[in-house]
Amino acid sequence: MTHDSKTDEILLDIKGLRKWFPIKSGMLTTVKSYVRAVDGVDLQVIRGETLGIVGESGCGKTTLGRVILGLIPMTEGSVHYDGEDIRMMTNRDLRRRLQIVFQDPGGSMNPRMSVRSIVGEPLTVNGIAEGAELTQRVADLLASVGLKRDHMNRFPHEFSGGQKQRIALARALSLDPEFILLDEPTSALDVSVQAQVLNLLEEIQSKRDLTFVFITHALNVVNHVCERVAVMYLGKIVEIANTKDLFSKPAHPYTHALMSAIPEPSLDKVARRRIVLSGDVPSPANPPPGCRFHTRCPIAEEGLCDVEEPKLESIGEGHSVACHFPLGPGMTLPILGDDQNPPEDDDMPNTVLL
Amino acid sequence: MKLHMFIVRRLILLVPVIVGVTILTFTISHLIPADAAAAQCGDKCGIVVGYTDDGDPITAYEANRERLGMNEPLIIQFGLYVTHLYEGDWGESSTYHRPVADVVKDAAPITLEMAFLALFIAYPLGIILGIISAVRQDRMFDHISRFFAIAFVSLPIFWFAMVLQLVFATGTESSGICDPLFGTSGGCFPIYGRHDPSLTYPVDGFASFYPAGGTGFHLIDSWFVTDEKLATLPEGWSSNWLLFKDTLLHLALPCAALGIASSGSLLRYMRASLLEVLHEDYVRTARAKGLSEFKVVIVHACRNALVPIVTILGFSIGGAIGGAVLTETIFAFNGMGRVAVKSIQYLDFPVIMGVTLITAAIFLLSNLIVDILYAVIDPRVRLE
Amino acid sequence: MRGWDEGEEDRKENLKRLTEAISQSGSDIWRSWRIYRRSLLAVVGLMLVLSVVTVSIFADDIAVEHPYRNLQDTQWLWTIDNEPQRAHPFSEECDWHEQSIYVDTRSPFFSETVVAVSDNKVGDDNKYYRDTLSVIELLSLKDNKGYDLNISWITIDPNNSSILILSEELYNNSSITDKVWLTYEFDNEAMHLSWMPDGYDVCIFGTTHQGQDLFSKVLYGSRVSLKIGITVALLTVTIGTIVGSVAGYFGGRVDEVIMRICDVFFAIPGLILAMAFVTAMSAITSLTIPLWLGILIPILFLAVVSRTYLTSTIPQENQLSSQVMGSLVRNRNIFLGLLVFFFFVGLIPGVSWSELFGLSESREWRLSAAIGIILLLGLIGLADKRFIEKSSFDGAGERVSKSLDWTNPWKYLTLRTVAVFVAAFYLFEFSGSTDDEIVVIKTFDRLWKIQAALIFTGWPGYARLIRGQVLYVKEMTFVEAAKSVGAPPGRIMFRHILPNAWAPLLVAFTLDIGGTILSASGLSFIGLGAAPGTAEWGLLVSDSRQFFVFDPHLMLFPGLAIAVTTLGFNLLGDGIRDVLDPKNRR
Ligand SMILES: Nc1ncnc2c1ncn2[C@@H]1O[C@H](COP(=O)(O)OP(=O)(O)OP(=O)(O)O)[C@@H](O)[C@H]1O
Ligand SMILES: [Mg+2]
Repeated sequence: MTHDSKTDEILLDIKGLRKWFPIKSGMLTTVKSYVRAVDGVDLQVIRGETLGIVGESGCGKTTLGRVILGLIPMTEGSVHYDGEDIRMMTNRDLRRRLQIVFQDPGGSMNPRMSVRSIVGEPLTVNGIAEGAELTQRVADLLASVGLKRDHMNRFPHEFSGGQKQRIALARALSLDPEFILLDEPTSALDVSVQAQVLNLLEEIQSKRDLTFVFITHALNVVNHVCERVAVMYLGKIVEIANTKDLFSKPAHPYTHALMSAIPEPSLDKVARRRIVLSGDVPSPANPPPGCRFHTRCPIAEEGLCDVEEPKLESIGEGHSVACHFPLGPGMTLPILGDDQNPPEDDDMPNTVLL
Repeated sequence: MKLHMFIVRRLILLVPVIVGVTILTFTISHLIPADAAAAQCGDKCGIVVGYTDDGDPITAYEANRERLGMNEPLIIQFGLYVTHLYEGDWGESSTYHRPVADVVKDAAPITLEMAFLALFIAYPLGIILGIISAVRQDRMFDHISRFFAIAFVSLPIFWFAMVLQLVFATGTESSGICDPLFGTSGGCFPIYGRHDPSLTYPVDGFASFYPAGGTGFHLIDSWFVTDEKLATLPEGWSSNWLLFKDTLLHLALPCAALGIASSGSLLRYMRASLLEVLHEDYVRTARAKGLSEFKVVIVHACRNALVPIVTILGFSIGGAIGGAVLTETIFAFNGMGRVAVKSIQYLDFPVIMGVTLITAAIFLLSNLIVDILYAVIDPRVRLE
Repeated sequence: MRGWDEGEEDRKENLKRLTEAISQSGSDIWRSWRIYRRSLLAVVGLMLVLSVVTVSIFADDIAVEHPYRNLQDTQWLWTIDNEPQRAHPFSEECDWHEQSIYVDTRSPFFSETVVAVSDNKVGDDNKYYRDTLSVIELLSLKDNKGYDLNISWITIDPNNSSILILSEELYNNSSITDKVWLTYEFDNEAMHLSWMPDGYDVCIFGTTHQGQDLFSKVLYGSRVSLKIGITVALLTVTIGTIVGSVAGYFGGRVDEVIMRICDVFFAIPGLILAMAFVTAMSAITSLTIPLWLGILIPILFLAVVSRTYLTSTIPQENQLSSQVMGSLVRNRNIFLGLLVFFFFVGLIPGVSWSELFGLSESREWRLSAAIGIILLLGLIGLADKRFIEKSSFDGAGERVSKSLDWTNPWKYLTLRTVAVFVAAFYLFEFSGSTDDEIVVIKTFDRLWKIQAALIFTGWPGYARLIRGQVLYVKEMTFVEAAKSVGAPPGRIMFRHILPNAWAPLLVAFTLDIGGTILSASGLSFIGLGAAPGTAEWGLLVSDSRQFFVFDPHLMLFPGLAIAVTTLGFNLLGDGIRDVLDPKNRR
């Protein structure tokens, strides 16, 4: 799953994207403050690739996705799809070319609609197919995600999590989009089903020439699926690199901490050492000044990290990091205390929680 | 948010509502097919009261129209109305032949007195039954009290009031329980009115015991009747206590009717609220500490369950005023409800507007007070 | 592109969806029923409601006499003398077989053979003939002064025991007195209820002060009350749902304005407001709307609901830079609403612009105002965000031409395009004309006035309820998912939000039927409700007020009827709440 760097064509270009949710206090009152869910994201997605976005819960991944799709208005910045500002695109165009699979597949389906109506809805509302043709197309779509034709007349609550995920995928595919944003498509599934869904995604991608943005917690999945990975922390991208680079030489201390949490024996010993991040995740409503990670960073320096915000800067080919002290290859984080080696069982009480 | 900011904000929010109420009442009263100008001159409308510059005669009717601004466009009339309201001129009632402000001023305390006393019955009744119902959840008592709660809500209040009159205020062979039970001929309570008509004593030409500048709440005023006036009273009536008792007895039935009708919904609220609280962690903790069930429920749970009950206090006052329309009609209290009914029957729209405005103001004000109270008890609401 | 045959496909799909929905709710109902069975009170409520409904349906068969039997109707012929008035339930008076009538022999209607007993039947099936009882025996005949006359001057028609024959002698002998009194025994068969055991006659509830059978009146009262309750609840639900979902869906200022309006309604006690409103409508005899408005409204409605190509080209929400235009755009819904509001207010007869602002009422003026408003609407519509965004109209032409696809002009023939043109035509042609009218309600009687008043005071409650519910459902992911595939607002509202928001509405609806019955009877009690003489429970209680101390049955039965019906609906609503929201039950 590597891409040919010569044919790089930027499909999605995100510049300085901000999404601040106002916290209002009642009527007639001015906005008091904002939740800075996404706070200055620059990101490019290349046609045909799979870009992973990882980060802790609440760091703004879903919000970023919703803004990209134009489902909620952005506060600042711009998103260009295929050279065109998504705000200037017609709704019809936007919806047909960009699709999303929501984080909660069950919740993203109207409980009072049959699978036929759910998967066929994009076709109906865009006036593409109706009646018998619609039925046929829905059946084809279901078949393409590995579901049976007679699942069509059932209702969402009659399906398992994996099946729901497939239905959601079928719906996203129904308009034959070029780009699909997958918001944690596997996190609710057990490992075997996870693998099935991932394989399905891969198959569909190669068949339909799709571009994926893959939002997830699970780094092992990222390793398996994505060509490039962006790491998010509190509404900002802190590091972005090719998957291989990111896993072999993570530069941001936060990425280090994440890597160390992967319970996968194949990773080398260094990364296996659990890094305990001290303190809680700061609130996005009140992010710390300077580098957002400095409150939990073991190598943060007073006077710099808590004052000046680091910029995302390139440290190698396709590898950028936003840190004042990016770690070189092979460097490790100072570990607080001695016995940080994990116990053999994969119980991880104090590791960073994704 | 600071408390005073909260209050200011709530006050600002009241403005559009008050404006809306004014517009609504103005619109409705102008749709009512009544001619205020004709109502004021009655059968003298044809009388010529003056001449225009051209020498054409002006009848009383035309003069009235002119004076009341009825020849102006509606929007100007509305402006005039609001200006007059602001200046304290609420218009002149055609049925009472008095300024509307005076009519309303006399009527409002009567209704309020009744409504407050009714809530005084409704709240303890509803809350206590609600507590028992919640504690004995799904047992017989609970079922019965829930049934009665719904039944009370379902009672037509005017009918219930009549039943109360029948049972407690009459003493005949056909009905009334007071005669056989207590031996009080004519029932335990007076059947209607605010005072005993046979015992009113003319003071300054009016059949009233009460000083003119009183509060209007007779339960209070009865204690401030001066000795000189009392000195001229019939024997046995020479004490403030008797006046008070008289007022209270007359209030008993209407307030019981209103109060019992409102207690039903209170019971349901209290039960739901307490059930919610009883499932909270801190109640479980209190139980686990080995406190007696009584203590857990009364001390820990009820205190918190009562907080939401406070919020509906404002609405209950509104509901009680609404219900007063019917009870006042039955018990012949000249409160706002009866005034409203009468003014509507006689198409007296200055009074209709006045009464509506005042009831709305009372409702809004009581809600405001309740909200502030709530904000004091539970600071969390200020944030919302 | 959508074909011309889409209608049929839609119908098929709708049918399919309906069956889907039914098959789904079938299992729901069964599950609900099992929960429901546990709730005894609710079952009692259901029984009460069902019995009231049954009674109202079969009132004709159960009742003894028609409640509107008008004693005055037949008075030119004869007058009933001693009909038992205010008879107590089951009293002996009710077992009543004799009555006196007086016969006006001077009446021009009398000839040799005279129908002495009214043939004036009432009721839909001419069934009620208390006044045309079969006469068994003539007991006495007296003249006006009380002297006995020869009884044989009057005989019973052998062919029809309801007809009495006055003989020649009676005419000859009644030259001095013009009326005679006849007492006769009649067969009380008609007044005997078929379902009662022998020996019990009618008037199980006694009779009213007019001698009418109270039982029949109470029975028929159920029709009035149920009609009011259900009509009002249905219409308030409809209005409240529309207003509430608009508020909830659009949110922001629209929401704020609607909620403030609701606050106004909450601030005034409902009964007082309803009273005032009933009075305000007292001059209206039939509800009509101008023809052109009647045509315009459905067209505009369709235009708003239907989907077009052009609207979908407008991006949902964007950021704004220009301050003034920005706020104009942000508030344009309010401007639009205000303009439309004033436009329509101007058309209401009696509150027209001329009266409101003291302006001329000429047709030219109206037309120019209409044009002005349309232009303003257009301007506001044009103040589209993407033009403001760039603070210029650069590329606008290109964009418009891009969105216009001349290769396939058919696709602009959407419902909305047609509707807009037709609407514009009607607006110009008929604006302000009041010649032709559509009759909505032909006889806007007092019953309708109560209903209108209760709807008028009732809708804000539902609006608030639905608004909250819509706000809640709106945040669910599947709504966003629908948006993400390009579903238009109408579809999102009707297909996604409302179907998931109706549960509390059902509860409120059931409870509201009871509440409405209470309020309606309260209005009647005050004398602002049903017309005097109607078999309405509130009115019956009100009529009993003079007599209730000695004849408590007069108020007891109608009042109980109100209480029982309301109780039924309230218990039922409470039960439904338990089923739909088990958390409440605990
Ligand atoms: N509609 C909203 N209004 C206000 N705040 C919001 C809204 N949506 C998200 N947020 C806040 O924005 C932040 C980012 O939320 P987001 O859903 O993007 O997180 P996430 O990275 O997807 O987390 P997870 O991995 O748990 O899905 C959170 O703090 C959340 O509380
Ligand atoms: Mg998420």
